[in-house]
Amino acid sequence: MLSTYFLPRDLHPAAWWVWALGLAVAASRTTNPWLLLTILAVASFVVVARRTDAPWALAFRIYLYLGSVIVCFRVFFRFVFGGAEGSTIILRLPEIPLPEWAAGIRLFGDVSAESLLGGLYDGLRLATMVICLGAANALANPKRLLKAMPPALYEVGTAVIVALSVFPQLAESVLRVGRARKLRGGTSGKRFHALHAIIIPVLEDALDRSLRLAASMDARGYGRAGKVAARVRLVTGLLMIVGLIGVCVGVYATLDGSTPRFLAAPVLVAGLVIALIGFRFAGKRVQRTRYRPDRWHLAELVVAASGVAVSVVLFATSSVDPTNLNPSLIDLSWPLLSWVPLCGVLIGLAPASLSPPPEPPFDHEPIRLAEKVPA
Amino acid sequence: MRTLAILAVAALMIAFAPTAHAIDQSKGHPGYCDNGTGVTVVVDFQQLGGTTIVRCDPQSTRGTGLDALKGAGFQIAGVQRWGEAFICRVENRPSAVEEIPVDGNPDYQETCIDTPPAAGYWSYWHAGNNCAWKYSQWGVKNRDFVAGGFEGWSFSLNATANANPKPRIAAVRPGTEGQPCVAPDEPAPTNEDPNARQPGSGQVPAAADNRETEEPDAGGATGSGDGGSALPPPKPRNSGSAAVDDPADNVAFTGGEKAKDVTEVIKEQSGASDYAPWVAGGVVVLLALATWFTARRRRHARES
Repeated sequence: MLSTYFLPRDLHPAAWWVWALGLAVAASRTTNPWLLLTILAVASFVVVARRTDAPWALAFRIYLYLGSVIVCFRVFFRFVFGGAEGSTIILRLPEIPLPEWAAGIRLFGDVSAESLLGGLYDGLRLATMVICLGAANALANPKRLLKAMPPALYEVGTAVIVALSVFPQLAESVLRVGRARKLRGGTSGKRFHALHAIIIPVLEDALDRSLRLAASMDARGYGRAGKVAARVRLVTGLLMIVGLIGVCVGVYATLDGSTPRFLAAPVLVAGLVIALIGFRFAGKRVQRTRYRPDRWHLAELVVAASGVAVSVVLFATSSVDPTNLNPSLIDLSWPLLSWVPLCGVLIGLAPASLSPPPEPPFDHEPIRLAEKVPA
Repeated sequence: MRTLAILAVAALMIAFAPTAHAIDQSKGHPGYCDNGTGVTVVVDFQQLGGTTIVRCDPQSTRGTGLDALKGAGFQIAGVQRWGEAFICRVENRPSAVEEIPVDGNPDYQETCIDTPPAAGYWSYWHAGNNCAWKYSQWGVKNRDFVAGGFEGWSFSLNATANANPKPRIAAVRPGTEGQPCVAPDEPAPTNEDPNARQPGSGQVPAAADNRETEEPDAGGATGSGDGGSALPPPKPRNSGSAAVDDPADNVAFTGGEKAKDVTEVIKEQSGASDYAPWVAGGVVVLLALATWFTARRRRHARES
């Protein structure tokens, strides 16, 4: 059992998604910078330790850039749209008077440390959630995720996975084009030229890739309508889309404390019911066999459970001591932190050592063996 | 080596320890105001328990109800949704771990994320000297306090709109008993605009100005928990008898001199540890180093 546990292999992509979503949900519960930074560090470490050499895995860095852009924007907007909530004024900017109809909006003016910190905490939370999704994209193979979709979700799943893999592929394109430019030399040109030299190849690459993807999906029989009446397909599709939208709204309302409660459980349940009816209709007519399906082994369970555990701990502690998950900005002080949420977040580190390492690419294996011989 | 590290950590912690007190004694002074300048702020915890606090904001310039509350040294918290336009906690009451038996939810805990329920919130009152308490028709940032008068905060638990408990301290400064009531008449809001200000108010010096924020400013004392996009102005309601209260019926009060440090109290209530942030920082640094090393090792392996 143990001898096969750590054999290099690719984990089930859904296990990585569950782990990453667990971290993201945990991040959504708190604005405590200590916890958010710990979640970021945990996610980055696991990604670096367990990612493959696939193109989508190397794009994780782009998500980190995106995260820092989000934080900078949040703080910057506090400067622009007035941040005088709080009493520690650190910067006095001239206020731009606005016409009567724009009452309630303020341009510049006094900026307080409290509102800047509020923007920082808020931005950090959003950035952490985005980076957690980036971690899932880096660790999980989108093609195998599509393979693991249940037959009923097949049509929606295809669209979602094509959409999900767009950003990592774009990121990979940017990195590759940049590398090629560097190798060609002459990178010291003007900024506009650099933009020109990166964006056009990247867009062309994206177009090529989507044509290739369309062709290969067509060849494999994706998108075939089958012998189903157009009306039945329309009804099934409508049921599923409405159901999934309901599920999304319901999940959002359940997780966000300030949304009205009638959007939470009722919408979630209604969405689930509608979606399940849709799945039943769709599943009836889709007969699909899988070639060597991915199985859930112990390692997958460990990875998924660690992610779920993190979010469960943060949910449980937020009902006990909300004060240190959402640090107060009444008067400036260092955010408080207690042990339970901190240890809870550290459970998320488990996959870094308790999951099998990724499979090395085929062409690298002989080289590594050859290296060992002379030594 | 380890002792050195612990000492260094301890020294840093003393250096960074928050020095705030429950009541900021550097602002205002305990008890009633001595004369006609400034405003006396009364905080009555009612069923929450705790001794009523009376303090004075000696500010001689005009200011909003929020300025009075802060100027008297009280520590307040707004809700996340509206900011300080809606007072959610005064002196950390109701605290995040305190169970308030509101109707329909006997172990409700106030998280101060959205508007508190109508069955448990801080009701906002005002009065001129020697006048009867009036339930404010304006938000805490939308009206100016009455110079020489009173601002009242009274926790309303399971009260109906017309039976909000007024502060149990008569709005009478000691030594002025029997004098006539002098208070400007405050017209009720005439429209639904949350940014509307009470007529005649608003000439606040810049230093004390916190009336304009990105949040809609309004409604320091409504109890309606609706989900509209702007905080609605308080609904007009009956503010009780018009006769001035008798100072002899006052409940016992203090100036808040011995109140505990709010930051300390929050730290106790949340089970926070002084060492946890340091451990978190250490973990983040260690993980960042480990990430960097692992990435480098794997890059070398890939390139070789």
